[in-house]
Amino acid sequence: MARVLLKEVTKRFGNLIAVNKLNLEIKDGEFMVLLGPSGCGKSTTLRMIAGLETPNEGEIWIGDTLVNEIDPTKRNIAMVFQSYALYPHMTVFGNIEFPLRMSGVPKQERAKKVKEVAEFLGIADLLDRKPSQLSGGQQQRVALARALVREPQVFLLDEPLSNLDAKIRTQMRFELKKLLSYELGITTIYVTHDQVEAMTMADRIAVMNKGVLQQVGTPDEIFYKPSNTFVATFVGSPPMNLIKGEIRRKDGEVFFETEYFTLKLSPDVPEAEEIILGFRPQHVDVALEQKDDYISGKLLGVEKLGVENYGHITYGNTDIVVRVPEDIRISRGEIYWKPQKNRIYLFDPKTGKTIYG
Amino acid sequence: MTPKERENLIKKAWILITYVVLITFALVYLTPFIRSIIASFMNWAQASRYPPEWIPNPFTLENYEKLFRLELFPRWIRNTALYAGLIIAGNILFSTMAGYAFARLRFPGRDAIFSALLSLMMIPMFVTLVPNYIIIYKLGLIDNIFGLALLGLTNVSSIFLMRQYFMSLSNEIFEAARLDGCGPIKSFFFIALPLARPALGAVAVYQFLGSWNAFIGPLIFLRSPENFTLPVGLSFAFQRAMWVEYTPIIAGSIVASAPTIILFLLLNKYLIRGIVITGGKG
Repeated sequence: MARVLLKEVTKRFGNLIAVNKLNLEIKDGEFMVLLGPSGCGKSTTLRMIAGLETPNEGEIWIGDTLVNEIDPTKRNIAMVFQSYALYPHMTVFGNIEFPLRMSGVPKQERAKKVKEVAEFLGIADLLDRKPSQLSGGQQQRVALARALVREPQVFLLDEPLSNLDAKIRTQMRFELKKLLSYELGITTIYVTHDQVEAMTMADRIAVMNKGVLQQVGTPDEIFYKPSNTFVATFVGSPPMNLIKGEIRRKDGEVFFETEYFTLKLSPDVPEAEEIILGFRPQHVDVALEQKDDYISGKLLGVEKLGVENYGHITYGNTDIVVRVPEDIRISRGEIYWKPQKNRIYLFDPKTGKTIYG
Repeated sequence: MTPKERENLIKKAWILITYVVLITFALVYLTPFIRSIIASFMNWAQASRYPPEWIPNPFTLENYEKLFRLELFPRWIRNTALYAGLIIAGNILFSTMAGYAFARLRFPGRDAIFSALLSLMMIPMFVTLVPNYIIIYKLGLIDNIFGLALLGLTNVSSIFLMRQYFMSLSNEIFEAARLDGCGPIKSFFFIALPLARPALGAVAVYQFLGSWNAFIGPLIFLRSPENFTLPVGLSFAFQRAMWVEYTPIIAGSIVASAPTIILFLLLNKYLIRGIVITGGKG
């Protein structure tokens, strides 16, 4: 077991900067999720830790060792790939045994360890099969077993759930977390573009965009204290509403003004003129009759997802999404809404950085 | 006629045309072979008559008898088999390694070397025949099956086929192997080679066909009759001072082509796979 430390790590592919001066520490036993859209550098980061890519600049430490120059075969890390990368010509037993065979573990010990880990993961009855005879979920377990069997210091997972269908994915999500964090307590770095996976599994999340680390924090911090508009809109579903406008002060009261509506804010917001106001669809009060301070709008339609229902309200080019009551009966027409005061964020329109909230 | 009926009719007409064209071509290709089979049962006088006759009269097994009376006939078969075996083994070993290196390893000049190799395919064998002869001569391996086989131990088209095959395999498998502790050599023997079986089959079949039927190479590099391969031996055995006795050669070719025909029937899926591999991802 070990911590992983990245210091000023940069990776370029030709002119493209895939990872830009990344500083990140993954603590011993921590479950860290690297989250971001495709092409944000999260997979490249993982592959550099694995040793499959070499950074152009910066240092990568695993435990107390600088591993930049250490071959991946000697880093004692294990990785689960998106496609699982099982060896199709070997049985399940052969697959799990393979890393032990390569490191020269004696045959009897190998067999014992393979049996142990297979039983631990509930695949002991599949040992004679070939990977092509397994379901997606079973292949996933075999890939996990192969990674776990040699007791690595660090466990890397690259979008391991994205090839599974939705139902198994939800189930495996929790199982993986239980296995890696609660039962084994192993240092884990998990790459995904799925914010639900990140929120449900991570001890801490590192959000990346265009090769740059945006924010590192616990799921709560990422959700409730996003550091900029990117994190605010990337995490959370539906994404946070962002509206451009101005702040006006009148008679000791503060208002947020757009072409279409005015909203009263709490008086402690910082001085600013141009501003982006943000609030999550879930943090909005909705009414069907006019109330004090409520904003009126035309409801264009309602997306019903069961308990959660989201209404779309349009002002010019801006589409605002709000959560509407479960038992709402209209899907079009006039509606009144107001973001909850203590759940409002303000962002600098130039840098996108959070200045309030 | 409804539009649907018309559509069906057009479809049928196309199928008919396709079959007619294919059958015509098949006949064009098959005729010489059928002619050979028929001629192998004729005497030379009848076989060389013009216009050609298609029914052996008298029907004779003399050509085959002549063939099996040849003392060296079994020896030539053995030589040919040895030659083919060496070529196949060499190609499987060396072309696979070279293909793996070109597909999977990163080293300076890799793509330039590969392009250079590919351009070799465009050079006719006759251009390199004399230099090759000199090399084999200096090595003292003229009139030696091993010397002849040395020239064919690897082959650009086999390397190309193997490279294409290895490139079509998922990168992640090799990366997984690397993390599991395989250097490039281990990952060749434990991962690449076992996964390459279909492509190896294709290489083996192609090389067998090429070496079993080879004529020019054995003709030039082999001197003594006891070292000849079958195609060279047959033409040697029935070459008279002023003329060539073709009917026993034809009979011999049919006997000689039996293994390749059987092999083709058994393994044609590998041949087709070879075409798919090289054509699929280029």
